[in-house]
Amino acid sequence: MTKSARGKFFFGLGVALAAGALLLAVTAHVQAQASSPPEETDWSLVETSVASATVPPPNQDPCLHCHIFGENKNLWMPLARWTVFGTLGLVFVFGVYRSASVWRQRKPWKPLTARAVEWVDERYEVSAPLSKILSKPVPRFAMKWWYCLGGITAFLFVVQGLTGIMLAFYYKPTAADAYASIQFIENEVRFGAAIRAIHHWAANGMIVMCMAHMLRVFIMGAYKRPRELNWISGMLLLILTLVFGFTGYLLPWDQRAYWATTVGTDIAGSVPAVGNLVLVLLRVGWDVSEATLGRFYALHIIIVPLATLAFMLAHFMMIRKLGIHKPL
Amino acid sequence: MTTMNPEQEKDSVPFYPDHVKTEFYVVLGILGLAIIIGVLGLFFPVGLQEPADPLNTPLHVKPEWYFLALYQLLKYIPPKVLGIDGTIFGVTSIIIALLVVVIWPFLDNKPDNKKAMRLRMIVTIIGVILVIAMTIWGEVS
Repeated sequence: MTKSARGKFFFGLGVALAAGALLLAVTAHVQAQASSPPEETDWSLVETSVASATVPPPNQDPCLHCHIFGENKNLWMPLARWTVFGTLGLVFVFGVYRSASVWRQRKPWKPLTARAVEWVDERYEVSAPLSKILSKPVPRFAMKWWYCLGGITAFLFVVQGLTGIMLAFYYKPTAADAYASIQFIENEVRFGAAIRAIHHWAANGMIVMCMAHMLRVFIMGAYKRPRELNWISGMLLLILTLVFGFTGYLLPWDQRAYWATTVGTDIAGSVPAVGNLVLVLLRVGWDVSEATLGRFYALHIIIVPLATLAFMLAHFMMIRKLGIHKPL
Repeated sequence: MTTMNPEQEKDSVPFYPDHVKTEFYVVLGILGLAIIIGVLGLFFPVGLQEPADPLNTPLHVKPEWYFLALYQLLKYIPPKVLGIDGTIFGVTSIIIALLVVVIWPFLDNKPDNKKAMRLRMIVTIIGVILVIAMTIWGEVS
C-alpha cells in the first residue's frame, strides 16, 4: 500500500466512523424526543424562513408532503438521511475499492474522469475532432463586450426553451382554459409566477439583444462578402424572434392579447395580393378564435423553435467556417 | 490539442478554455439576472388583463412594443398616398424595406472603408432615435 492510499483509507475510515457516531447521536436524540411529549412545529415561523421553499407546511398538501419527506418533520427526515448517509457510504466503498486496487496493482490510481473519457473515446473516437474544434483560435479583437450580443441572444433562446417547457406543463391552449391555466400558473404552481416572469422578460430581452446584435453587425460591416448568407440567416432569425413574440402574445387569452392579435393580423391582411390568404392562414377563419389560439400555440412551441434551431445551426456553422469579421 | 503558431498566439486566444470561460461568465451573469427577475416576478407577477371578449373592443388597442413604431407609422399615414390606399401603401413599403434589409449585403457589396462605416453609424443612430421616438409616441398616445 502506498503512503497516499493508506492515508485515504484512514480518511475514509474516519469519515465512516464520524458518520456512524452522528447516526447514533441522531437516533439517540430522536428516541429521547419520542419518549417526551411531541413538540408541535410552529409553521408560522417556518414560513418566514428559507425552509418554506423546500418544506411545504402540512396544511398545503399533506399527502405530497408525506410522500416526499416521510412523516418526520425534523431535519432527519428519511430523504435527507438516505441522501447524506448514502453518499457517505458510496464515498467509503469507493475509497476501499481504490485503496485495494492501488495496493494490488502497485500503480498510481487513474481518475474516474480519465477512465470515462477513454471509454467513450474508444467507442466514438470523438476526442481528436473535438480537440480540433475546441482549440480553434479566437482573435483577440473579439474579446470586447459588443461581440457577445449574439451569444446572449442564443443563451436567452435556451432560457426561453427551458422556461417555455415548464410553462407548457400547465398551459392549456383552449379558449375556455387558457386564461384560467395562466392564472393557475401565477397563483397555484410553485414558482410559476417566477417562471412566467422570466419567460416574459427574457422574451423582451431576446428581441432587444437580437436587434442590438444586428445593428452592431451593420455598423461594423460584418455582413460584407463572404458573410452575406450569415446576414440573411440572421435576418430570418430576427423575423422568427418577432414571430415568437407575436404568437406568444396571444397565448394568455386576455383582452390585450386578443385585440393585439386582431390588430396585428389585420395589418398582415392588408398586404396587397396575398393579404386575405395570410389573414385566413393566421386566424384560421375570418376572426380571431379558439382555432387561432391553437394555431399560434403550435407555431410558438414547435414550428418556430425548430426553424429557429435550424437557422441558428446554419448561423453558427458559418461563423465557425468564416471566422469573426476583422473590423477596420 | 493542435498547437497554434506563434503569430496566431500573439493576437488570438484558444477557443477552449479562454473564450469558453469568458462566454461562461456572460452566461452566468444572464442566469443571475434571470433568477433576480424570477424572484421579483414572485412579488410583482406579469399579471393578466380581463379575459378575452370578442364582443367588447377596448378603447386603446396596441400591439407589442416592438411593433409599436410600425403601428404608429401605419396609423398616421394619410388615407390616400399617390392614389393608393394609405394602409396598403404603408404595409407594402414596410415589406419592401424589410426585403431591402434582408438582401442588403448584395446591394452594398463594395469593400468596406472608414467613411462608409461612419455613414452607417450615423444612419443607424438616426434610425434608432427615430424608432425609439415613434415607440414612445405610440406608447403615450
